[in-house]
Amino acid sequence: MAYNWNWAIFLSETPSGESTYLGWLLTGLQWTVTLSLSAWIIALTVGSLFGVLRTVPNRWLSMLAAAYVETFRNVPLLVQLFLWYFVLPELLPRGMGDAFKQLNPLMQQYIAATLCLGLFTGARVSEQVRSGIGALPRGQRNAALALGLTLPQAYRHVMLPMAFRLVIPPLTSEFLNIFKNSAVATTIGLIELSRQAQQLVDYTAQPYEAFIAVTLMYVMINVTVMFFMRRLEQKVRVPGYLGGNPS
Amino acid sequence: MNDAYDGYGFDWSSIPGALPLLAKGLSITFEVTVTAIVVGIIWGTLLAVARLSKSKLLSTAAAGYVNLFRSVPLVMVILWFYLIVPQLLKSVFGEGIADIRLASALCAFALFEAAYYSEIIRAGIQSVSRGQASAALALGLTPGQTMRLVILPQAFRNMLPLLLTQAIILFQDTSLVYVIGLSDFFGTAYKVGDRDGRLVELLLFAGAVYFVFCFSASQIVRHLQRRFVK
Amino acid sequence: MISIRQVSKSYGSFQVLSDCSTEIKKGEVIVVCGPSGSGKSTLIKCVNGLEPFQSGEIIVDGISVGDPRTKLSTLRARVGMVFQHFELFPHMTIVDNLTLAQVKVLGRSRDEAAEKGLKLLERVGLKAHANKHPGALSGGQQQRVAIARALSMDPIAMLFDEPTSALDPEMINEVLDVMVELANEGMTMMCVTHEMGFARKVAHRVIFMDQGRIVEDAPKDDFFGQPRSERAQQFLSKILHH
Repeated sequence: MAYNWNWAIFLSETPSGESTYLGWLLTGLQWTVTLSLSAWIIALTVGSLFGVLRTVPNRWLSMLAAAYVETFRNVPLLVQLFLWYFVLPELLPRGMGDAFKQLNPLMQQYIAATLCLGLFTGARVSEQVRSGIGALPRGQRNAALALGLTLPQAYRHVMLPMAFRLVIPPLTSEFLNIFKNSAVATTIGLIELSRQAQQLVDYTAQPYEAFIAVTLMYVMINVTVMFFMRRLEQKVRVPGYLGGNPS
Repeated sequence: MNDAYDGYGFDWSSIPGALPLLAKGLSITFEVTVTAIVVGIIWGTLLAVARLSKSKLLSTAAAGYVNLFRSVPLVMVILWFYLIVPQLLKSVFGEGIADIRLASALCAFALFEAAYYSEIIRAGIQSVSRGQASAALALGLTPGQTMRLVILPQAFRNMLPLLLTQAIILFQDTSLVYVIGLSDFFGTAYKVGDRDGRLVELLLFAGAVYFVFCFSASQIVRHLQRRFVK
Repeated sequence: MISIRQVSKSYGSFQVLSDCSTEIKKGEVIVVCGPSGSGKSTLIKCVNGLEPFQSGEIIVDGISVGDPRTKLSTLRARVGMVFQHFELFPHMTIVDNLTLAQVKVLGRSRDEAAEKGLKLLERVGLKAHANKHPGALSGGQQQRVAIARALSMDPIAMLFDEPTSALDPEMINEVLDVMVELANEGMTMMCVTHEMGFARKVAHRVIFMDQGRIVEDAPKDDFFGQPRSERAQQFLSKILHH
């Protein structure tokens, strides 16, 4: 089982001649990051909204939010992605479906993958936000209301700021997950990192170099995200609470 | 441009004929899931114990394993194993191994899930109070016996809901064997849909089946959780 | 100022309040006491609508609390409340705790609100702590801030829900002193508390509750002199010999 290691492969030109294999990987990294960050924006927005809805004293709103969470948590991510990419354009009104299909393929893949990852992760984020709000002492809500704040004001100024601080650790792991889950987009052909790894295997016959490089890139993303989330956590730490030091 | 919605003409007729194929796919899905649960929990327990052990070497090695697997996408792990396992099998058994894809998937999932299970189990072990270990040691049990007879049974009880939830996630994740072309339930549904030009129906059907399984399972877990909470 | 008329409330089949009625005039200080689970905390939370009730009526300064058309937030802004567990907002500094509702509810400018807040902090002896977070303060200090926070809204009445029962004994007096001062200034107050020394000193009337009912509602001297009900007598002797 002799394997010829050739790390210089990354510097050689691709068949089309417009880039090196390293260039391919960097394009992949760029797409992984773009996809993950845009999906994260959707996930945070939608997740916060539905997480709050699950805690408000209105049965219909909280049932609506629960239905969202259950649907998106109980269908595999891959199936959801295929539903967004292959099925939804068929079921949309014809004009919209056709407009989608006329976009360039990369755009189609990007839109479908972003919506898919965003709403999938949003369901998880909403559970975290809900449990964060649930973990607050009930008196906080009463105290805010007793001062004359409206319920939305109580959420915005009193409950959410504390709830978000409480759930930074689980949200960090959801944020990490979104980068890892973005690899699923390879199945619809989006040229993110793991697709590029497969491309390199096909083109270069140096699979180990390609896989090791891509794996390291994912590890790097992981380390970077953790670093920034730790910084954030320290920055918003409340003195005297949650492990903060009383000043 | 005609914006009127004239509806998609659903045609579910290719599903009944494909049921035997789909059932076979489903059995592969379950095979991968169950193997990964069993091996994952056993290997995960060992990793968790290693990680909490006093030996610096053991705990570092276990932490490295867990952190590496947890920072890489499952898709990449599956691809990695599909790269390594066939070559290993070839060099050990020669040509002619029946199902290289399945073997790769089984290894990938078992070793990958172990990393996730070990984190759950580690938290479970740490949730058992220190006094329990002291009491067991004071009775003359060895550290090994203490772990096996006193700590782990309590830990598993505490973390049962989490272990089951992880199993549901795992069941969903097995659909990713699609990337190495293994025909599990989802892969089969996709192939049938593609073959008959009925991808819309087959994908919706597959989604519904996963939903029914996972939703029911998660309701059961919720029920257990309510009964188990101290 | 506050009239409570035949208020009843139940959770399912459990009757928390039954047929409670009383009247609190402007400038009056009322102490509500009774064993735990007697419904006294629930009753006081009904006054500013934090707890809904099924029947009866509560009128605060001419406004019906139970009326669905009443804008509760406006009503609450005029009635101060102090809680057992202080409930300062932990992510805000002390002064921000005092200005939040002034700015968001009363529409005061930030400067105006801060000025008012600092004045009140000075009054409760905590001006030096204005820029700390609540977690850095002792329980007694936090509760004094909570009183100042309620006062910053210029309330027409104050509700106290067991303000000293979560405090270490040595901190109880610093909070009671602030409350006594407030009572002497003529603030209308409804206080759920077991501090009978406080009741003797400043209360006009004492209400004794048991099992969701107002068992006794008497002027202070009558209550301490000769409580009519046996349960109130038992309760008093338990508390006094504590």
